Amino acid sequence: MSDPVAERRFREIVPPLLDDAYSLARWLSQSPTDAEDIVHDAALRALQALSTVTVDRPKPWFLAIVRNAAMTFIARNRPKAVAYVGDLADLDALDLRQGEDAAPNPEQELIARQDGERLRQAIASLPSPFLETLVMRDVNGLSYREIAEATQAPVGTVMSRLARARSLLAKTLRGEP
Amino acid sequence: MTDRDPNERLFRLNAALDGELDAMASLELERELRDDPALAAEYRRLAALRDAVRRHAPREAAPQALADRIAALAPPAPSVPAPQTAAALATVVPLRRRAWFDRRALALAASLGVLGFAVGAGLTSLRTASGSGDVAQRLVSDFARAAIAGQPFDIASSDRHTVKPWLADRTTISAGIIDLAPEGFPLAGGRVAIVDRVAAPTLVYRHNEHLVAVTELPLDAGQARAANATETIDGYHVARWSDANLAYVAVSDMDLKTLGEFVEAFRRGGSPATEPARP
Repeated sequence: MSDPVAERRFREIVPPLLDDAYSLARWLSQSPTDAEDIVHDAALRALQALSTVTVDRPKPWFLAIVRNAAMTFIARNRPKAVAYVGDLADLDALDLRQGEDAAPNPEQELIARQDGERLRQAIASLPSPFLETLVMRDVNGLSYREIAEATQAPVGTVMSRLARARSLLAKTLRGEP
Repeated sequence: MTDRDPNERLFRLNAALDGELDAMASLELERELRDDPALAAEYRRLAALRDAVRRHAPREAAPQALADRIAALAPPAPSVPAPQTAAALATVVPLRRRAWFDRRALALAASLGVLGFAVGAGLTSLRTASGSGDVAQRLVSDFARAAIAGQPFDIASSDRHTVKPWLADRTTISAGIIDLAPEGFPLAGGRVAIVDRVAAPTLVYRHNEHLVAVTELPLDAGQARAANATETIDGYHVARWSDANLAYVAVSDMDLKTLGEFVEAFRRGGSPATEPARP
Protein backbone atom coordinates (compact mmCIF):
# COMPACT_ATOMS: atom_id res chain seq x y z
CA MET A 1 0.00 0.00 0.00
CA SER A 2 1.74 3.15 -1.11
CA ASP A 3 1.37 6.42 0.71
CA PRO A 4 2.03 9.44 -1.53
CA VAL A 5 2.85 11.75 1.37
CA ALA A 6 5.36 9.30 2.83
CA GLU A 7 6.86 8.77 -0.62
CA ARG A 8 7.25 12.48 -1.18
CA ARG A 9 8.96 12.94 2.19
CA PHE A 10 11.11 9.92 1.47
CA ARG A 11 12.31 11.39 -1.84
CA GLU A 12 13.23 14.61 -0.06
CA ILE A 13 15.02 13.05 2.87
CA VAL A 14 16.68 9.79 1.93
CA PRO A 15 18.51 10.19 -1.41
CA PRO A 16 20.61 13.18 -0.23
CA LEU A 17 21.75 11.12 2.77
CA LEU A 18 22.64 7.99 0.85
CA ASP A 19 26.42 8.46 0.90
CA ASP A 20 26.36 9.10 4.63
CA ALA A 21 24.15 6.09 5.23
CA TYR A 22 26.30 3.82 3.07
CA SER A 23 29.54 4.96 4.71
CA LEU A 24 28.16 4.40 8.19
CA ALA A 25 26.77 0.97 7.28
CA ARG A 26 30.08 0.04 5.70
CA TRP A 27 32.07 0.86 8.79
CA LEU A 28 29.61 -0.86 11.11
CA SER A 29 29.30 -4.02 9.00
CA GLN A 30 32.86 -3.97 7.62
CA SER A 31 31.47 -5.25 4.34
CA PRO A 32 30.51 -3.33 1.19
CA THR A 33 27.84 -5.82 0.12
CA ASP A 34 26.27 -6.09 3.56
CA ALA A 35 26.30 -2.29 3.74
CA GLU A 36 24.07 -2.13 0.66
CA ASP A 37 21.57 -4.54 2.18
CA ILE A 38 21.61 -2.64 5.47
CA VAL A 39 20.94 0.71 3.80
CA HIS A 40 18.17 -0.81 1.69
CA ASP A 41 16.61 -2.27 4.81
CA ALA A 42 16.94 1.08 6.60
CA ALA A 43 15.34 2.88 3.66
CA LEU A 44 12.34 0.52 3.80
CA ARG A 45 11.96 1.22 7.51
CA ALA A 46 12.24 4.95 6.88
CA LEU A 47 9.58 4.86 4.19
CA GLN A 48 7.26 3.04 6.54
CA ALA A 49 7.93 5.44 9.40
CA LEU A 50 7.35 8.52 7.25
CA SER A 51 3.64 7.70 6.99
CA THR A 52 3.27 8.68 10.60
CA VAL A 53 6.14 10.95 11.59
CA THR A 54 7.45 14.28 10.40
CA VAL A 55 11.17 14.74 10.64
CA ASP A 56 12.86 17.95 11.68
CA ARG A 57 16.46 16.80 11.53
CA PRO A 58 16.69 14.23 8.76
CA LYS A 59 20.35 13.32 9.13
CA PRO A 60 20.47 12.04 12.72
CA TRP A 61 17.01 10.56 12.19
CA PHE A 62 17.95 8.47 9.16
CA LEU A 63 21.41 7.54 10.45
CA ALA A 64 19.79 6.25 13.65
CA ILE A 65 17.67 3.93 11.48
CA VAL A 66 20.77 2.84 9.55
CA ARG A 67 22.60 2.14 12.79
CA ASN A 68 19.73 0.07 14.17
CA ALA A 69 19.39 -1.78 10.87
CA ALA A 70 23.10 -2.57 11.00
CA MET A 71 22.83 -3.90 14.53
CA THR A 72 19.87 -6.09 13.60
CA PHE A 73 21.65 -7.31 10.48
CA ILE A 74 24.82 -8.21 12.34
CA ALA A 75 22.97 -9.94 15.16
CA ARG A 76 20.95 -11.97 12.66
CA ASN A 77 23.66 -12.87 10.17
CA ARG A 78 26.79 -13.08 12.26
CA PRO A 79 25.76 -14.09 15.76
CA LYS A 80 29.33 -15.14 16.49
CA ALA A 81 30.83 -11.88 15.38
CA VAL A 82 29.14 -9.56 17.82
CA ALA A 83 31.52 -6.67 17.93
CA TYR A 84 31.69 -6.18 21.64
CA VAL A 85 30.61 -8.54 24.35
CA GLY A 86 30.90 -7.23 27.81
CA ASP A 87 29.58 -4.50 29.95
CA LEU A 88 29.45 -1.12 28.26
CA ALA A 89 30.03 0.49 31.61
CA ASP A 90 33.47 -1.15 31.72
CA LEU A 91 34.37 0.52 28.47
CA ASP A 92 33.04 3.88 29.50
CA ALA A 93 35.02 3.70 32.71
CA LEU A 94 38.35 2.92 31.07
CA ASP A 95 40.95 5.18 32.52
CA LEU A 96 42.53 7.13 29.73
CA ARG A 97 45.55 8.31 31.59
CA GLN A 98 47.58 5.14 31.18
CA GLY A 99 50.32 5.56 28.67
CA GLU A 100 49.65 9.16 28.04
CA ASP A 101 52.68 10.37 29.87
CA ALA A 102 54.86 8.32 27.58
CA ALA A 103 56.83 10.63 25.38
CA PRO A 104 55.31 10.59 21.92
CA ASN A 105 57.48 8.92 19.36
CA PRO A 106 57.65 11.27 16.38
CA GLU A 107 58.32 8.42 13.99
CA GLN A 108 55.20 6.60 15.01
CA GLU A 109 53.16 9.75 14.75
CA LEU A 110 54.39 10.09 11.22
CA ILE A 111 53.12 6.58 10.55
CA ALA A 112 49.78 7.53 12.02
CA ARG A 113 49.52 10.39 9.63
CA GLN A 114 50.62 8.53 6.54
CA ASP A 115 49.71 4.88 6.74
CA GLY A 116 46.04 4.97 5.82
CA GLU A 117 45.55 1.23 5.74
CA ARG A 118 46.89 0.79 9.23
CA LEU A 119 44.72 3.61 10.47
CA ARG A 120 41.62 2.11 8.86
CA GLN A 121 42.36 -1.25 10.49
CA ALA A 122 42.77 0.46 13.83
CA ILE A 123 39.41 2.20 13.39
CA ALA A 124 37.72 -1.05 12.36
CA SER A 125 39.01 -2.79 15.47
CA LEU A 126 37.41 -0.27 17.85
CA PRO A 127 34.63 -1.66 20.07
CA SER A 128 31.33 -0.88 18.35
CA PRO A 129 30.08 1.89 20.67
CA PHE A 130 33.32 3.77 20.04
CA LEU A 131 33.37 2.94 16.35
CA GLU A 132 29.87 4.25 15.67
CA THR A 133 30.53 7.44 17.63
CA LEU A 134 33.80 8.12 15.82
CA VAL A 135 32.31 7.42 12.38
CA MET A 136 29.25 9.58 13.01
CA ARG A 137 31.52 12.42 14.09
CA ASP A 138 34.44 12.26 11.66
CA VAL A 139 32.87 10.58 8.63
CA ASN A 140 29.26 11.79 8.82
CA GLY A 141 30.03 15.11 10.48
CA LEU A 142 27.26 14.95 13.09
CA SER A 143 27.41 17.22 16.12
CA TYR A 144 27.59 15.72 19.61
CA ARG A 145 23.90 16.45 20.08
CA GLU A 146 23.01 14.72 16.81
CA ILE A 147 25.14 11.69 17.69
CA ALA A 148 23.37 11.55 21.03
CA GLU A 149 20.07 11.55 19.17
CA ALA A 150 21.16 8.88 16.70
CA THR A 151 22.67 6.54 19.28
CA GLN A 152 20.17 7.26 22.04
CA ALA A 153 22.93 8.07 24.49
CA PRO A 154 23.39 11.17 26.67
CA VAL A 155 25.65 13.88 25.25
CA GLY A 156 28.13 13.30 28.08
CA THR A 157 28.45 9.67 27.02
CA VAL A 158 29.01 10.70 23.41
CA MET A 159 31.74 13.03 24.57
CA SER A 160 33.49 10.38 26.60
CA ARG A 161 33.14 7.68 23.91
CA LEU A 162 34.64 9.96 21.30
CA ALA A 163 37.57 10.86 23.54
CA ARG A 164 38.09 7.19 24.35
CA ALA A 165 37.81 6.17 20.72
CA ARG A 166 40.55 8.60 19.75
CA SER A 167 42.73 7.60 22.69
CA LEU A 168 42.39 3.93 21.78
CA LEU A 169 43.26 4.74 18.17
CA ALA A 170 46.34 6.64 19.24
CA LYS A 171 47.37 3.76 21.49
CA THR A 172 46.92 1.19 18.73
CA LEU A 173 48.93 3.31 16.34
CA ARG A 174 51.68 3.69 18.93
CA GLY A 175 51.78 -0.09 19.03
CA GLU A 176 50.70 -0.36 22.64
CA PRO A 177 48.66 -3.41 23.68
CA MET B 1 39.37 25.88 35.16
CA THR B 2 40.53 22.70 36.87
CA ASP B 3 39.09 19.44 35.69
CA ARG B 4 37.44 17.50 38.44
CA ASP B 5 37.83 14.20 36.63
CA PRO B 6 41.28 13.85 35.05
CA ASN B 7 39.58 12.42 31.96
CA GLU B 8 37.63 15.64 31.60
CA ARG B 9 40.78 17.34 30.44
CA LEU B 10 40.78 15.01 27.46
CA PHE B 11 37.05 15.47 26.87
CA ARG B 12 37.57 19.21 26.72
CA LEU B 13 40.40 18.90 24.22
CA ASN B 14 38.24 16.69 22.01
CA ALA B 15 35.25 18.97 22.33
CA ALA B 16 37.43 21.94 21.37
CA LEU B 17 38.65 20.03 18.35
CA ASP B 18 35.08 19.30 17.32
CA GLY B 19 33.92 22.88 17.75
CA GLU B 20 31.67 21.93 20.64
CA LEU B 21 32.99 24.35 23.27
CA ASP B 22 31.12 27.57 23.86
CA ALA B 23 32.90 30.89 23.51
CA MET B 24 33.87 31.25 27.17
CA ALA B 25 35.19 27.70 27.45
CA SER B 26 37.19 28.17 24.23
CA LEU B 27 38.74 31.31 25.62
CA GLU B 28 39.67 29.52 28.81
CA LEU B 29 41.18 26.62 26.91
CA GLU B 30 43.17 28.90 24.62
CA ARG B 31 44.74 30.47 27.66
CA GLU B 32 45.57 27.06 29.13
CA LEU B 33 47.09 25.92 25.84
CA ARG B 34 49.31 28.97 25.86
CA ASP B 35 50.47 28.37 29.41
CA ASP B 36 50.83 24.60 29.33
CA PRO B 37 53.15 23.18 26.65
CA ALA B 38 52.27 19.60 27.53
CA LEU B 39 48.57 20.31 27.04
CA ALA B 40 49.32 22.06 23.78
CA ALA B 41 51.33 19.07 22.57
CA GLU B 42 48.47 16.76 23.46
CA TYR B 43 46.09 18.98 21.56
CA ARG B 44 48.32 18.91 18.47
CA ARG B 45 48.55 15.12 18.62
CA LEU B 46 44.79 14.84 18.82
CA ALA B 47 44.35 17.25 15.93
CA ALA B 48 46.82 15.27 13.80
CA LEU B 49 44.96 12.06 14.57
CA ARG B 50 41.59 13.62 13.78
CA ASP B 51 42.93 14.96 10.47
CA ALA B 52 44.39 11.56 9.61
CA VAL B 53 41.03 9.88 10.29
CA ARG B 54 39.23 12.34 8.06
CA ARG B 55 41.76 11.95 5.29
CA HIS B 56 42.00 8.16 5.35
CA ALA B 57 38.41 7.35 6.22
CA PRO B 58 36.44 9.69 3.98
CA ARG B 59 32.73 9.51 3.33
CA GLU B 60 32.22 7.11 0.46
CA ALA B 61 29.78 7.45 -2.40
CA ALA B 62 27.01 4.88 -2.38
CA PRO B 63 27.17 2.57 -5.39
CA GLN B 64 24.84 3.55 -8.23
CA ALA B 65 23.04 0.21 -7.97
CA LEU B 66 22.12 1.02 -4.38
CA ALA B 67 20.98 4.52 -5.31
CA ASP B 68 18.75 2.98 -8.00
CA ARG B 69 17.28 0.46 -5.55
CA ILE B 70 16.51 3.24 -3.08
CA ALA B 71 14.99 5.49 -5.75
CA ALA B 72 12.76 2.62 -6.86
CA LEU B 73 11.19 2.44 -3.39
CA ALA B 74 9.39 5.76 -3.95
CA PRO B 75 9.29 6.52 -7.66
CA PRO B 76 8.32 10.11 -8.47
CA ALA B 77 5.30 11.26 -10.51
CA PRO B 78 3.51 7.94 -10.90
CA SER B 79 0.61 9.64 -12.68
CA VAL B 80 2.33 9.96 -16.07
CA PRO B 81 0.54 7.41 -18.23
CA ALA B 82 3.14 6.38 -20.76
CA PRO B 83 6.74 6.06 -19.66
CA GLN B 84 8.03 6.60 -23.19
CA THR B 85 6.32 9.99 -23.31
CA ALA B 86 7.85 10.98 -20.02
CA ALA B 87 11.30 9.97 -21.19
CA ALA B 88 10.90 11.90 -24.42
CA LEU B 89 9.74 15.03 -22.59
CA ALA B 90 12.54 14.75 -20.11
CA THR B 91 15.15 14.87 -22.82
CA VAL B 92 13.61 17.71 -24.80
CA VAL B 93 12.44 20.14 -22.16
CA PRO B 94 15.57 20.63 -20.09
CA LEU B 95 17.67 21.18 -23.19
CA ARG B 96 15.40 23.95 -24.42
CA ARG B 97 15.17 25.53 -21.01
CA ARG B 98 18.87 25.28 -20.50
CA ALA B 99 19.73 27.06 -23.75
CA TRP B 100 17.27 29.79 -22.93
CA PHE B 101 18.74 30.24 -19.47
CA ASP B 102 22.24 30.42 -20.84
CA ARG B 103 21.29 33.27 -23.18
CA ARG B 104 19.52 35.05 -20.36
CA ALA B 105 22.51 34.46 -18.14
CA LEU B 106 24.83 36.21 -20.53
CA ALA B 107 22.55 39.17 -21.02
CA LEU B 108 21.80 39.49 -17.37
CA ALA B 109 25.39 39.17 -16.28
CA ALA B 110 26.28 41.96 -18.64
CA SER B 111 23.46 44.22 -17.53
CA LEU B 112 24.07 43.57 -13.86
CA GLY B 113 27.70 44.37 -14.29
CA VAL B 114 26.93 47.69 -15.94
CA LEU B 115 24.26 48.51 -13.40
CA GLY B 116 26.47 47.67 -10.51
CA PHE B 117 29.23 49.81 -11.89
CA ALA B 118 27.07 52.77 -12.83
CA VAL B 119 24.81 53.21 -9.87
CA GLY B 120 26.00 50.95 -7.11
CA ALA B 121 24.11 51.18 -3.92
CA GLY B 122 22.41 54.39 -4.96
CA LEU B 123 19.95 52.38 -6.99
CA THR B 124 18.16 51.12 -3.94
CA SER B 125 16.76 54.49 -3.04
CA LEU B 126 15.34 55.16 -6.50
CA ARG B 127 12.92 52.28 -6.58
CA THR B 128 9.43 52.45 -5.28
CA ALA B 129 6.93 49.75 -4.52
CA SER B 130 4.86 50.55 -7.58
CA GLY B 131 4.14 47.51 -9.70
CA SER B 132 5.51 45.10 -7.16
CA GLY B 133 2.07 43.56 -6.82
CA ASP B 134 2.56 41.87 -10.18
CA VAL B 135 5.63 40.11 -8.95
CA ALA B 136 3.95 38.93 -5.76
CA GLN B 137 0.88 37.81 -7.71
CA ARG B 138 2.99 35.82 -10.10
CA LEU B 139 4.93 34.16 -7.29
CA VAL B 140 1.71 33.30 -5.50
CA SER B 141 0.44 31.66 -8.70
CA ASP B 142 3.70 29.73 -8.93
CA PHE B 143 3.35 28.61 -5.35
CA ALA B 144 -0.28 27.53 -5.77
CA ARG B 145 0.43 25.72 -9.04
CA ALA B 146 3.42 23.92 -7.55
CA ALA B 147 1.41 22.94 -4.48
CA ILE B 148 -1.49 21.60 -6.57
CA ALA B 149 0.87 19.70 -8.86
CA GLY B 150 2.41 18.14 -5.76
CA GLN B 151 5.81 19.41 -6.84
CA PRO B 152 6.73 22.28 -4.56
CA PHE B 153 10.31 22.19 -5.81
CA ASP B 154 12.36 21.00 -8.76
CA ILE B 155 15.18 19.72 -6.62
CA ALA B 156 14.36 18.08 -3.34
CA SER B 157 17.10 18.23 -0.78
CA SER B 158 17.61 19.32 2.77
CA ASP B 159 21.28 19.83 2.04
CA ARG B 160 22.09 23.34 1.00
CA HIS B 161 25.32 22.12 -0.56
CA THR B 162 23.15 20.17 -2.99
CA VAL B 163 20.60 22.88 -3.63
CA LYS B 164 23.04 25.72 -4.10
CA PRO B 165 25.00 24.30 -7.07
CA TRP B 166 21.74 23.15 -8.67
CA LEU B 167 20.39 26.70 -8.53
CA ALA B 168 23.73 28.16 -9.56
CA ASP B 169 23.57 26.13 -12.76
CA ARG B 170 20.20 27.59 -13.64
CA THR B 171 20.13 31.16 -12.44
CA THR B 172 22.48 34.11 -12.49
CA ILE B 173 21.59 35.17 -8.98
CA SER B 174 23.69 33.43 -6.40
CA ALA B 175 21.21 32.16 -3.87
CA GLY B 176 22.11 32.78 -0.27
CA ILE B 177 20.91 29.63 1.44
CA ILE B 178 20.50 29.96 5.15
CA ASP B 179 20.25 26.96 7.40
CA LEU B 180 17.08 27.46 9.39
CA ALA B 181 16.59 23.89 10.55
CA PRO B 182 17.51 24.83 14.13
CA GLU B 183 14.73 27.41 14.02
CA GLY B 184 12.24 24.76 12.91
CA PHE B 185 12.30 25.49 9.19
CA PRO B 186 14.38 22.80 7.50
CA LEU B 187 15.25 23.30 3.86
CA ALA B 188 13.07 21.14 1.62
CA GLY B 189 14.38 22.02 -1.81
CA GLY B 190 14.73 24.60 -4.51
CA ARG B 191 13.20 25.66 -7.79
CA VAL B 192 13.49 28.38 -10.35
CA ALA B 193 10.91 31.13 -10.69
CA ILE B 194 10.74 33.35 -13.75
CA VAL B 195 10.16 36.96 -12.82
CA ASP B 196 10.39 39.72 -15.36
CA ARG B 197 12.12 37.24 -17.66
CA VAL B 198 14.81 36.65 -15.07
CA ALA B 199 15.43 33.18 -13.67
CA ALA B 200 15.29 33.68 -9.93
CA PRO B 201 16.37 31.11 -7.34
CA THR B 202 13.59 30.03 -5.03
CA LEU B 203 14.25 28.23 -1.79
CA VAL B 204 11.54 26.09 -0.28
CA TYR B 205 11.55 25.57 3.46
CA ARG B 206 9.26 23.32 5.44
CA HIS B 207 7.50 23.86 8.71
CA ASN B 208 5.45 20.86 9.79
CA GLU B 209 3.15 20.30 6.83
CA HIS B 210 3.48 23.85 5.56
CA LEU B 211 5.86 25.30 3.05
CA VAL B 212 7.37 28.69 2.50
CA ALA B 213 9.02 29.61 -0.80
CA VAL B 214 11.55 32.44 -0.76
CA THR B 215 12.37 33.93 -4.15
CA GLU B 216 15.52 36.03 -4.39
CA LEU B 217 15.42 38.78 -6.98
CA PRO B 218 17.74 41.46 -8.21
CA LEU B 219 16.66 44.78 -6.77
CA ASP B 220 15.53 46.07 -10.15
CA ALA B 221 13.61 43.02 -11.40
CA GLY B 222 10.00 43.93 -12.07
CA GLN B 223 10.08 46.53 -9.34
CA ALA B 224 10.52 43.67 -6.94
CA ARG B 225 11.90 45.94 -4.31
CA ALA B 226 9.36 46.94 -1.74
CA ALA B 227 9.13 48.23 1.73
CA ASN B 228 9.06 45.46 4.30
CA ALA B 229 5.49 44.34 4.15
CA THR B 230 3.17 41.41 4.38
CA GLU B 231 -0.01 40.98 2.43
CA THR B 232 -2.45 38.24 1.56
CA ILE B 233 -3.09 37.23 -2.02
CA ASP B 234 -5.53 34.47 -2.95
CA GLY B 235 -5.35 33.17 0.61
CA TYR B 236 -1.57 32.92 0.65
CA HIS B 237 0.51 35.16 2.85
CA VAL B 238 3.28 37.08 1.18
CA ALA B 239 6.16 38.80 2.96
CA ARG B 240 8.62 41.06 1.23
CA TRP B 241 11.86 42.62 2.28
CA SER B 242 15.21 43.48 0.83
CA ASP B 243 18.79 43.97 1.82
CA ALA B 244 21.64 45.78 0.14
CA ASN B 245 21.92 43.16 -2.58
CA LEU B 246 18.63 41.45 -3.24
CA ALA B 247 14.91 41.69 -2.83
CA TYR B 248 13.12 38.76 -1.22
CA VAL B 249 9.56 37.59 -1.66
CA ALA B 250 8.31 34.82 0.62
CA VAL B 251 5.05 33.07 -0.25
CA SER B 252 3.56 30.64 2.21
CA ASP B 253 0.55 28.67 3.32
CA MET B 254 1.64 29.12 6.94
CA ASP B 255 -0.27 31.45 9.19
CA LEU B 256 0.87 35.04 9.30
CA LYS B 257 2.50 34.75 12.70
CA THR B 258 4.64 31.76 11.73
CA LEU B 259 5.57 33.44 8.49
CA GLY B 260 6.67 36.46 10.49
CA GLU B 261 8.86 34.23 12.64
CA PHE B 262 10.33 32.63 9.54
CA VAL B 263 11.14 36.00 7.95
CA GLU B 264 12.72 37.19 11.16
CA ALA B 265 14.84 34.04 11.40
CA PHE B 266 15.81 34.27 7.73
CA ARG B 267 16.90 37.87 8.04
CA ARG B 268 18.69 37.22 11.29
CA GLY B 269 20.47 34.29 9.65
CA GLY B 270 22.61 36.97 8.11
CA SER B 271 22.45 38.63 4.76
CA PRO B 272 24.00 35.85 2.73
CA ALA B 273 26.97 37.02 0.78
CA THR B 274 26.02 37.29 -2.86
CA GLU B 275 28.63 36.24 -5.27
CA PRO B 276 29.04 37.80 -8.69
CA ALA B 277 26.94 36.39 -11.49
CA ARG B 278 28.41 33.38 -13.18
CA PRO B 279 30.10 34.36 -16.42
